[in-house]
Amino acid sequence: MNQYVTISVDGMSIDVPKGLSVLDAALGHGICIPHLCRVPYISDIGACRLCIVEHVKNGRSKITTSCTLIAKEGMVILSNTEKIIKLRRNIAELLVTEAPNSRAVQDVAMRCGVKEVRYSFRNSDCILCGRCVRSCTGLFGEKAIGFVGRGKDRRVESPFEIKSQLCNECGRCIDLCPMTVVPCDGPMMPGEERLCGNCESKMSFAEEIPGFCIACDLGEGFQCERRLFLGP
Amino acid sequence: MPQTTLVSILEGHRSQPHQLIEVLQDVQDQYGYISEDSMRAISSELGAPLMEVYKVASFYKAFSLKPRGKNVITICTGTACHVRGANLVLNQAVGQLGIEPGEVSDDGLFTIEHVNCLGACALGPVVTENGSFHHHMNPGKLRKVIKTINSSGTEEISHG
Repeated sequence: MNQYVTISVDGMSIDVPKGLSVLDAALGHGICIPHLCRVPYISDIGACRLCIVEHVKNGRSKITTSCTLIAKEGMVILSNTEKIIKLRRNIAELLVTEAPNSRAVQDVAMRCGVKEVRYSFRNSDCILCGRCVRSCTGLFGEKAIGFVGRGKDRRVESPFEIKSQLCNECGRCIDLCPMTVVPCDGPMMPGEERLCGNCESKMSFAEEIPGFCIACDLGEGFQCERRLFLGP
Repeated sequence: MPQTTLVSILEGHRSQPHQLIEVLQDVQDQYGYISEDSMRAISSELGAPLMEVYKVASFYKAFSLKPRGKNVITICTGTACHVRGANLVLNQAVGQLGIEPGEVSDDGLFTIEHVNCLGACALGPVVTENGSFHHHMNPGKLRKVIKTINSSGTEEISHG
Protein backbone atom coordinates (compact mmCIF):
# COMPACT_ATOMS: atom_id res chain seq x y z
CA MET A 1 0.00 0.00 0.00
CA ASN A 2 1.17 3.49 -0.78
CA GLN A 3 2.12 5.71 2.06
CA TYR A 4 1.06 9.30 1.68
CA VAL A 5 2.57 12.50 2.94
CA THR A 6 0.87 15.86 3.07
CA ILE A 7 2.63 18.85 1.65
CA SER A 8 1.49 22.39 1.07
CA VAL A 9 2.02 23.90 -2.36
CA ASP A 10 1.06 27.57 -2.70
CA GLY A 11 -1.14 27.24 0.37
CA MET A 12 -2.96 24.23 -1.02
CA SER A 13 -2.69 21.06 0.99
CA ILE A 14 -2.10 17.99 -1.16
CA ASP A 15 -1.56 14.33 -0.42
CA VAL A 16 1.21 12.70 -2.41
CA PRO A 17 2.66 9.20 -2.38
CA LYS A 18 5.87 8.96 -0.39
CA GLY A 19 9.04 9.29 -2.42
CA LEU A 20 7.55 11.40 -5.19
CA SER A 21 9.27 14.62 -6.12
CA VAL A 22 7.56 17.92 -5.43
CA LEU A 23 7.39 18.61 -9.17
CA ASP A 24 5.55 15.36 -9.86
CA ALA A 25 3.19 16.00 -6.98
CA ALA A 26 2.38 19.51 -8.17
CA LEU A 27 1.88 18.43 -11.77
CA GLY A 28 -0.42 15.64 -10.65
CA HIS A 29 -2.59 18.20 -8.87
CA GLY A 30 -2.79 20.63 -11.74
CA ILE A 31 -0.25 23.11 -10.44
CA CYS A 32 1.94 24.30 -13.27
CA ILE A 33 5.62 24.44 -12.49
CA PRO A 34 7.41 24.99 -15.80
CA HIS A 35 9.99 22.30 -16.43
CA LEU A 36 12.13 21.20 -19.33
CA CYS A 37 14.81 18.64 -18.51
CA ARG A 38 12.42 16.32 -16.74
CA VAL A 39 11.60 12.99 -18.41
CA PRO A 40 8.90 10.86 -16.79
CA TYR A 41 10.19 7.68 -15.12
CA ILE A 42 13.83 8.69 -15.54
CA SER A 43 15.94 10.08 -12.71
CA ASP A 44 15.98 13.87 -12.45
CA ILE A 45 19.16 15.88 -12.22
CA GLY A 46 17.82 19.43 -12.04
CA ALA A 47 19.78 20.53 -15.08
CA CYS A 48 17.53 23.18 -16.62
CA ARG A 49 16.71 24.90 -13.31
CA LEU A 50 13.30 25.96 -14.63
CA CYS A 51 11.33 24.08 -12.01
CA ILE A 52 12.70 26.15 -9.11
CA VAL A 53 10.43 26.64 -6.11
CA GLU A 54 10.73 28.22 -2.70
CA HIS A 55 10.99 25.69 0.07
CA VAL A 56 10.02 27.35 3.34
CA LYS A 57 11.62 25.80 6.36
CA ASN A 58 11.77 27.30 9.86
CA GLY A 59 10.61 30.63 8.53
CA ARG A 60 13.38 30.83 5.94
CA SER A 61 12.90 30.07 2.31
CA LYS A 62 15.40 28.26 0.19
CA ILE A 63 15.25 28.18 -3.59
CA THR A 64 15.74 24.75 -5.05
CA THR A 65 14.70 22.67 -8.02
CA SER A 66 11.44 20.88 -7.35
CA CYS A 67 12.28 17.89 -9.53
CA THR A 68 15.09 16.85 -7.20
CA LEU A 69 13.17 17.74 -4.02
CA ILE A 70 11.47 14.71 -2.54
CA ALA A 71 8.14 15.44 -0.87
CA LYS A 72 8.30 15.10 2.91
CA GLU A 73 5.56 15.42 5.51
CA GLY A 74 4.64 19.02 6.32
CA MET A 75 6.75 20.60 3.59
CA VAL A 76 5.77 24.13 2.62
CA ILE A 77 6.38 24.97 -1.03
CA LEU A 78 5.77 28.25 -2.79
CA SER A 79 5.92 27.91 -6.54
CA ASN A 80 4.62 31.23 -7.71
CA THR A 81 6.01 34.08 -5.69
CA GLU A 82 7.33 37.28 -7.26
CA LYS A 83 10.88 36.17 -6.59
CA ILE A 84 10.42 32.78 -8.23
CA ILE A 85 8.66 34.21 -11.25
CA LYS A 86 11.48 36.70 -11.77
CA LEU A 87 14.22 34.12 -11.37
CA ARG A 88 12.44 31.64 -13.60
CA ARG A 89 11.99 34.27 -16.28
CA ASN A 90 15.69 35.05 -16.17
CA ILE A 91 16.63 31.38 -16.41
CA ALA A 92 14.26 30.87 -19.34
CA GLU A 93 15.70 33.96 -21.00
CA LEU A 94 19.20 32.55 -20.69
CA LEU A 95 18.05 29.22 -22.13
CA VAL A 96 16.61 31.00 -25.17
CA THR A 97 19.84 32.97 -25.48
CA GLU A 98 21.85 29.78 -25.51
CA ALA A 99 19.64 27.94 -27.98
CA PRO A 100 17.08 30.13 -29.73
CA ASN A 101 16.46 27.64 -32.52
CA SER A 102 14.11 25.38 -30.67
CA ARG A 103 10.37 25.61 -30.42
CA ALA A 104 10.41 23.68 -27.17
CA VAL A 105 12.69 26.17 -25.49
CA GLN A 106 10.79 29.13 -26.95
CA ASP A 107 7.50 27.73 -25.71
CA VAL A 108 8.62 27.06 -22.19
CA ALA A 109 10.22 30.51 -22.08
CA MET A 110 6.89 31.96 -23.10
CA ARG A 111 5.19 30.07 -20.32
CA CYS A 112 7.71 31.61 -17.94
CA GLY A 113 6.78 35.06 -19.22
CA VAL A 114 9.78 35.88 -21.41
CA LYS A 115 8.78 38.61 -23.82
CA GLU A 116 12.11 39.76 -25.08
CA VAL A 117 15.65 38.51 -24.76
CA ARG A 118 18.17 41.05 -23.61
CA TYR A 119 21.27 39.11 -24.59
CA SER A 120 22.76 38.30 -27.98
CA PHE A 121 21.99 34.81 -29.18
CA ARG A 122 24.62 32.12 -28.98
CA ASN A 123 22.95 29.76 -31.44
CA SER A 124 24.17 26.70 -29.65
CA ASP A 125 22.62 23.36 -30.48
CA CYS A 126 22.50 22.11 -26.94
CA ILE A 127 21.27 23.40 -23.61
CA LEU A 128 22.84 20.49 -21.68
CA CYS A 129 19.51 19.38 -20.27
CA GLY A 130 20.85 15.84 -20.18
CA ARG A 131 17.64 14.22 -21.44
CA CYS A 132 19.56 12.24 -24.05
CA VAL A 133 22.23 11.19 -21.58
CA ARG A 134 19.73 10.06 -18.99
CA SER A 135 17.48 8.23 -21.42
CA CYS A 136 20.36 6.41 -23.13
CA THR A 137 20.62 2.81 -22.09
CA GLY A 138 22.83 1.57 -24.89
CA LEU A 139 23.63 -2.08 -25.30
CA PHE A 140 24.02 -4.07 -22.08
CA GLY A 141 22.86 -1.07 -20.07
CA GLU A 142 26.11 0.76 -20.75
CA LYS A 143 25.63 4.32 -21.89
CA ALA A 144 26.83 5.27 -25.35
CA ILE A 145 26.83 9.01 -24.68
CA GLY A 146 27.52 11.17 -21.69
CA PHE A 147 28.73 14.54 -20.52
CA VAL A 148 32.36 15.28 -21.33
CA GLY A 149 34.50 18.11 -20.05
CA ARG A 150 33.32 20.73 -17.65
CA GLY A 151 32.36 24.34 -17.30
CA LYS A 152 31.93 26.06 -20.63
CA ASP A 153 33.48 23.10 -22.43
CA ARG A 154 30.88 20.67 -21.15
CA ARG A 155 29.19 18.80 -23.96
CA VAL A 156 27.41 15.59 -24.81
CA GLU A 157 29.76 13.19 -26.52
CA SER A 158 30.58 9.54 -27.09
CA PRO A 159 33.84 8.24 -25.64
CA PHE A 160 36.82 9.50 -27.68
CA GLU A 161 34.43 11.42 -29.89
CA ILE A 162 33.75 8.49 -32.18
CA LYS A 163 30.37 6.84 -32.35
CA SER A 164 30.20 4.24 -29.66
CA GLN A 165 29.64 0.61 -30.56
CA LEU A 166 27.31 0.52 -27.60
CA CYS A 167 24.75 2.68 -29.39
CA ASN A 168 21.80 0.46 -30.24
CA GLU A 169 20.32 3.02 -32.61
CA CYS A 170 17.09 3.29 -30.67
CA GLY A 171 16.79 7.00 -31.42
CA ARG A 172 15.42 7.77 -28.00
CA CYS A 173 17.94 10.53 -27.43
CA ILE A 174 16.77 12.28 -30.59
CA ASP A 175 13.10 11.83 -29.72
CA LEU A 176 13.57 13.42 -26.34
CA CYS A 177 15.88 16.23 -27.45
CA PRO A 178 14.15 19.61 -27.13
CA MET A 179 16.39 20.95 -29.89
CA THR A 180 14.77 18.81 -32.57
CA VAL A 181 11.56 20.81 -32.51
CA VAL A 182 11.50 23.25 -35.42
CA PRO A 183 11.52 26.80 -34.07
CA CYS A 184 8.71 29.28 -34.37
CA ASP A 185 9.11 32.05 -36.91
CA GLY A 186 9.49 34.91 -34.48
CA PRO A 187 12.59 34.71 -32.38
CA MET A 188 12.19 37.06 -29.50
CA MET A 189 14.76 39.66 -30.52
CA PRO A 190 15.00 42.81 -28.45
CA GLY A 191 12.96 45.56 -30.06
CA GLU A 192 11.47 43.37 -32.75
CA GLU A 193 9.25 40.83 -31.11
CA ARG A 194 7.50 39.06 -33.92
CA LEU A 195 5.16 36.78 -32.08
CA CYS A 196 2.53 35.31 -34.35
CA GLY A 197 -1.12 35.49 -33.35
CA ASN A 198 -1.08 31.93 -32.14
CA CYS A 199 1.81 32.61 -29.79
CA GLU A 200 0.21 35.81 -28.57
CA SER A 201 -2.98 34.10 -27.55
CA LYS A 202 -1.01 31.40 -25.80
CA MET A 203 0.95 34.10 -24.08
CA SER A 204 -2.11 35.86 -22.73
CA PHE A 205 -3.37 32.56 -21.39
CA ALA A 206 -0.09 31.92 -19.67
CA GLU A 207 -0.11 35.36 -18.11
CA GLU A 208 -3.67 35.16 -16.83
CA ILE A 209 -3.21 32.00 -14.82
CA PRO A 210 0.49 31.49 -14.27
CA GLY A 211 0.25 29.01 -11.42
CA PHE A 212 -2.23 26.52 -12.76
CA CYS A 213 -2.06 24.01 -15.53
CA ILE A 214 -4.27 25.20 -18.34
CA ALA A 215 -3.46 22.27 -20.59
CA CYS A 216 -1.57 24.63 -22.86
CA ASP A 217 0.34 23.45 -25.88
CA LEU A 218 3.53 25.01 -24.62
CA GLY A 219 4.78 21.78 -23.14
CA GLU A 220 4.45 19.83 -26.34
CA GLY A 221 8.08 20.14 -27.33
CA PHE A 222 9.37 18.46 -24.21
CA GLN A 223 6.56 16.04 -23.41
CA CYS A 224 5.08 17.93 -20.47
CA GLU A 225 3.97 15.38 -17.93
CA ARG A 226 0.60 17.04 -17.46
CA ARG A 227 -0.34 16.42 -21.07
CA LEU A 228 0.22 12.72 -20.51
CA PHE A 229 -2.20 12.81 -17.61
CA LEU A 230 -4.85 14.62 -19.59
CA GLY A 231 -4.41 12.74 -22.82
CA PRO A 232 -4.13 14.39 -26.21
CA MET B 1 53.65 1.68 -23.73
CA PRO B 2 54.82 -1.00 -21.32
CA GLN B 3 51.72 -2.96 -20.51
CA THR B 4 53.30 -4.40 -17.36
CA THR B 5 53.09 -1.05 -15.56
CA LEU B 6 49.42 -0.72 -16.34
CA VAL B 7 48.81 -4.24 -15.11
CA SER B 8 50.60 -3.54 -11.86
CA ILE B 9 48.59 -0.33 -11.39
CA LEU B 10 45.35 -2.19 -11.92
CA GLU B 11 46.40 -4.88 -9.46
CA GLY B 12 44.20 -4.73 -6.39
CA HIS B 13 41.66 -2.43 -8.03
CA ARG B 14 39.97 -4.90 -10.33
CA SER B 15 36.18 -5.00 -10.36
CA GLN B 16 36.02 -1.99 -8.08
CA PRO B 17 34.60 0.83 -10.18
CA HIS B 18 34.56 3.24 -7.23
CA GLN B 19 38.37 3.30 -7.26
CA LEU B 20 38.39 4.80 -10.73
CA ILE B 21 39.98 8.10 -9.74
CA GLU B 22 42.82 6.45 -7.85
CA VAL B 23 43.65 4.30 -10.84
CA LEU B 24 43.50 7.28 -13.18
CA GLN B 25 45.82 9.22 -10.88
CA ASP B 26 48.32 6.36 -10.88
CA VAL B 27 48.19 6.13 -14.67
CA GLN B 28 48.63 9.88 -14.92
CA ASP B 29 51.67 9.76 -12.63
CA GLN B 30 53.24 6.85 -14.50
CA TYR B 31 52.73 7.90 -18.09
CA GLY B 32 52.17 11.63 -17.78
CA TYR B 33 48.88 11.29 -19.62
CA ILE B 34 45.95 8.92 -20.00
CA SER B 35 45.82 7.26 -23.38
CA GLU B 36 42.79 5.84 -25.11
CA ASP B 37 44.18 2.32 -24.74
CA SER B 38 44.72 2.68 -21.02
CA MET B 39 41.21 4.08 -20.62
CA ARG B 40 39.77 1.09 -22.42
CA ALA B 41 41.87 -1.26 -20.27
CA ILE B 42 40.80 0.52 -17.07
CA SER B 43 37.17 0.37 -18.14
CA SER B 44 37.20 -3.37 -18.74
CA GLU B 45 39.32 -4.24 -15.71
CA LEU B 46 37.43 -2.09 -13.23
CA GLY B 47 34.02 -2.89 -14.64
CA ALA B 48 33.25 0.79 -15.08
CA PRO B 49 31.52 1.88 -18.29
CA LEU B 50 33.91 3.43 -20.80
CA MET B 51 31.72 6.53 -20.87
CA GLU B 52 32.19 6.89 -17.12
CA VAL B 53 35.98 6.61 -17.40
CA TYR B 54 36.13 9.12 -20.23
CA LYS B 55 33.77 11.47 -18.41
CA VAL B 56 35.87 11.49 -15.26
CA ALA B 57 39.17 11.71 -17.12
CA SER B 58 37.96 14.66 -19.19
CA PHE B 59 36.37 16.41 -16.22
CA TYR B 60 39.41 16.88 -13.99
CA LYS B 61 42.18 19.21 -15.00
CA ALA B 62 44.65 16.96 -13.19
CA PHE B 63 44.22 14.35 -15.92
CA SER B 64 45.68 14.94 -19.33
CA LEU B 65 44.32 13.10 -22.34
CA LYS B 66 47.19 14.15 -24.60
CA PRO B 67 50.86 13.22 -24.22
CA ARG B 68 52.83 15.79 -22.31
CA GLY B 69 56.41 16.96 -22.50
CA LYS B 70 59.12 15.78 -20.15
CA ASN B 71 58.90 19.00 -18.18
CA VAL B 72 55.45 20.34 -17.36
CA ILE B 73 55.27 24.01 -16.50
CA THR B 74 52.01 24.85 -14.80
CA ILE B 75 51.10 28.49 -14.50
CA CYS B 76 48.39 29.53 -12.11
CA THR B 77 45.96 31.96 -13.70
CA GLY B 78 43.57 32.12 -10.77
CA THR B 79 42.23 35.43 -9.56
CA ALA B 80 45.01 36.25 -7.09
CA CYS B 81 47.77 35.26 -9.49
CA HIS B 82 46.04 37.00 -12.38
CA VAL B 83 45.94 40.37 -10.67
CA ARG B 84 49.62 40.02 -9.87
CA GLY B 85 50.51 39.48 -13.50
CA ALA B 86 50.14 35.77 -14.24
CA ASN B 87 49.31 36.54 -17.86
CA LEU B 88 52.72 38.18 -18.31
CA VAL B 89 54.34 35.03 -16.96
CA LEU B 90 52.20 32.92 -19.28
CA ASN B 91 53.11 35.09 -22.26
CA GLN B 92 56.80 34.74 -21.37
CA ALA B 93 56.52 30.95 -21.33
CA VAL B 94 54.52 30.89 -24.58
CA GLY B 95 56.98 33.23 -26.27
CA GLN B 96 60.12 31.52 -25.05
CA LEU B 97 59.06 27.98 -25.87
CA GLY B 98 57.01 28.79 -28.94
CA ILE B 99 54.09 26.59 -27.94
CA GLU B 100 50.55 27.29 -26.83
CA PRO B 101 49.20 26.06 -23.49
CA GLY B 102 48.40 22.37 -23.73
CA GLU B 103 50.87 21.70 -26.55
CA VAL B 104 54.16 19.83 -26.48
CA SER B 105 57.30 21.51 -27.78
CA ASP B 106 58.96 19.94 -30.84
CA ASP B 107 61.82 18.43 -28.83
CA GLY B 108 59.30 16.83 -26.50
CA LEU B 109 60.81 18.60 -23.51
CA PHE B 110 58.16 21.10 -22.47
CA THR B 111 54.46 21.46 -21.94
CA ILE B 112 52.81 24.63 -20.69
CA GLU B 113 49.58 24.38 -18.77
CA HIS B 114 47.45 26.88 -16.97
CA VAL B 115 45.26 26.05 -14.04
CA ASN B 116 42.75 28.11 -12.15
CA CYS B 117 44.21 27.80 -8.69
CA LEU B 118 47.08 26.00 -7.05
CA GLY B 119 45.98 26.91 -3.55
CA ALA B 120 48.96 29.16 -2.81
CA CYS B 121 47.33 32.49 -3.55
CA ALA B 122 49.42 34.45 -1.02
CA LEU B 123 52.56 33.52 -2.93
CA GLY B 124 51.27 34.44 -6.38
CA PRO B 125 51.94 34.42 -9.20
CA VAL B 126 52.71 30.75 -8.69
CA VAL B 127 54.38 28.50 -11.26
CA THR B 128 55.15 24.83 -10.78
CA GLU B 129 57.59 22.89 -12.85
CA ASN B 130 57.43 19.15 -12.42
CA GLY B 131 55.70 19.49 -9.08
CA SER B 132 58.04 21.98 -7.39
CA PHE B 133 56.56 25.36 -6.65
CA HIS B 134 58.05 28.71 -7.59
CA HIS B 135 56.54 31.71 -5.84
CA HIS B 136 56.30 35.39 -6.73
CA MET B 137 57.14 34.67 -10.34
CA ASN B 138 57.77 37.25 -13.00
CA PRO B 139 58.78 36.84 -16.64
CA GLY B 140 62.47 37.25 -15.81
CA LYS B 141 62.49 34.59 -13.13
CA LEU B 142 60.57 32.19 -15.35
CA ARG B 143 63.06 32.71 -18.17
CA LYS B 144 65.86 31.66 -15.83
CA VAL B 145 63.89 28.62 -14.67
CA ILE B 146 63.31 27.46 -18.23
CA LYS B 147 66.95 28.13 -19.11
CA THR B 148 68.13 26.08 -16.15
CA ILE B 149 65.94 23.15 -17.16
CA ASN B 150 67.13 23.43 -20.73
CA SER B 151 70.83 23.50 -19.84
CA SER B 152 70.77 20.86 -17.14
CA GLY B 153 68.58 18.61 -19.21
CA THR B 154 67.38 16.96 -16.06
CA GLU B 155 64.13 17.38 -14.21
CA GLU B 156 65.75 18.34 -10.93
CA ILE B 157 66.70 21.92 -10.21
CA SER B 158 66.99 23.78 -6.97
CA HIS B 159 63.71 24.63 -5.37
CA GLY B 160 62.92 28.27 -6.02
